[in-house]
Amino acid sequence: MNYLLLTPAFLLILLVFVLPLIRYSWMSMHSISVITGLDYIPNNGSNWIRLLNDDRFWRDTIQTIRFAAFSVSIEIVLAIIIALLLSQRIKGKGILRTISLLPWALPTTIMALGWRWIFNTPYGPIDQISSLIGFGTLDILSNPDLAWIATVIGDVWKTTPFVALIILAGLQTIPSDLYEAFKMEGGSPLQSFIKITLPLLKPYILLSLVFRLAQAFGVFDLIQVMTGGGPASSTESIAIYAYLNAMRFLDFGYSATIMIASFILLITICLFTWIFYNKLKSKLSI
Amino acid sequence: MLLIWSLSPLIWQLYTSLSTPEALTRPLEINEFRWTFDNYKQIFQANPPFVRYLLNSLIVGLSSTILTLAIALPASYSLAKANNKVSKISKIILLASALFPYFLLFLALLEFAREMNFGNNLLALCIPYSALCMPLAVLLLTAAFKDLPNDLEEAARLEGLGLINRLRWILFPLIKPAIASTSILVFLFTWNEYPIALTWISKSELITLPVAIARIAGSSVYSVPYGAYAAATVVGALPLLLIVFIFQKRIVSGLTQGAIKG
Repeated sequence: MNYLLLTPAFLLILLVFVLPLIRYSWMSMHSISVITGLDYIPNNGSNWIRLLNDDRFWRDTIQTIRFAAFSVSIEIVLAIIIALLLSQRIKGKGILRTISLLPWALPTTIMALGWRWIFNTPYGPIDQISSLIGFGTLDILSNPDLAWIATVIGDVWKTTPFVALIILAGLQTIPSDLYEAFKMEGGSPLQSFIKITLPLLKPYILLSLVFRLAQAFGVFDLIQVMTGGGPASSTESIAIYAYLNAMRFLDFGYSATIMIASFILLITICLFTWIFYNKLKSKLSI
Repeated sequence: MLLIWSLSPLIWQLYTSLSTPEALTRPLEINEFRWTFDNYKQIFQANPPFVRYLLNSLIVGLSSTILTLAIALPASYSLAKANNKVSKISKIILLASALFPYFLLFLALLEFAREMNFGNNLLALCIPYSALCMPLAVLLLTAAFKDLPNDLEEAARLEGLGLINRLRWILFPLIKPAIASTSILVFLFTWNEYPIALTWISKSELITLPVAIARIAGSSVYSVPYGAYAAATVVGALPLLLIVFIFQKRIVSGLTQGAIKG
């Protein structure tokens, strides 16, 4: 009888998380586009062969991985520093915490538009300052080699507070006796950070690492509003490419194929990160 | 440092939104012609007025929060009582779906909306939104139910209170803080959600705030009247500033509980 109460919740999860994946697998084996009149026509895996030979897909994959790797690692390092600062007894901690939450709570599209204006050439503050001190305009958002860095900055700005909160929760579970005992034994603060803090924070770091990697891998709003995937597709993520295939080229079969492929890629990346992280940790704690 | 880092982009938006178009081309110079409220007048007189988008987002946010709670509360109650095996398996399912990058779902959800004729229906948006928030909500609320002492409910049962009355009068009031945290997190998610709102709603008087902002951004790169757009982002951000300042404690405890129990 009790389990009856569980059914609606899990049915909803089945409907929204599991069925789409099954449906995509089915769609990826068919041609479904305006050319076929949106009918499902089996095509013996030609979507998949096209994907394997699609340079744009692989370039987007590399770009997505680059974006996710840089933004997530910067976020975690910054978050650890911020969490350590916030866990000290300082005045106005509450206000500080509230303010550092703001970037996380704002809609991504709003802050992406804000960042686009900040990086604007020539009127944004960054280009204004750089031309004041004689470097001329930097034109970051229209430079294919630099635009992705601007998107990383936007993502780091938005998500660091969230990661910092998780790490801070982890810090607060560490009993302060441990530090005092370590200090009595003559350990320096740096040593106590490496020997006590990091190992005990491990589950929290791992959680935020996996969570953030998965989210950054599916990055969409930020890039669509900030650069639209440009210049010259240099900031295009897999999600943007899947979106373009579905909504602009109206090729649903191929879009579904991209979704499944990126899902498989994501699971692989998370597994590798997990294994690598465990190896690194066991080395550090020796 | 932290303050400057989190606030400066917001302050720059505020500054831009109060500037005249001429001032925008020389943002670092100060002169007496530079301050104006015209940008705000412009977005409130536009058609449909900007307030409309805030209202749409509010409708979607409230309906999704209510639906999520209505489904998550009973589920978490029974999960807190469930035996080890069931609760372990459910926890793994919930965690996996909480980590899932939901963007990948948009195409299938769009097809679903087409089949059910849910396009351009603000209230229908609460179905995918509740589902996306369900993992977090169930995890948080289950943890709260588990922290309650069992004797309390036992005593109420011996007094002859039925399940619904026990939930209504004894258990729900006790986990109020967790319910509040969950509702705020769900509301924030739906207020900010973009890809699904973008693909389900196409009528311009029904779009939600994030979509409205993105449409502004997408219109044209060159002729963009940035002052008005900055004003739009400021107005769009204000309700969230209020929520964050009022419910700061609840948000933090919700997020940290989520991390610890997960």
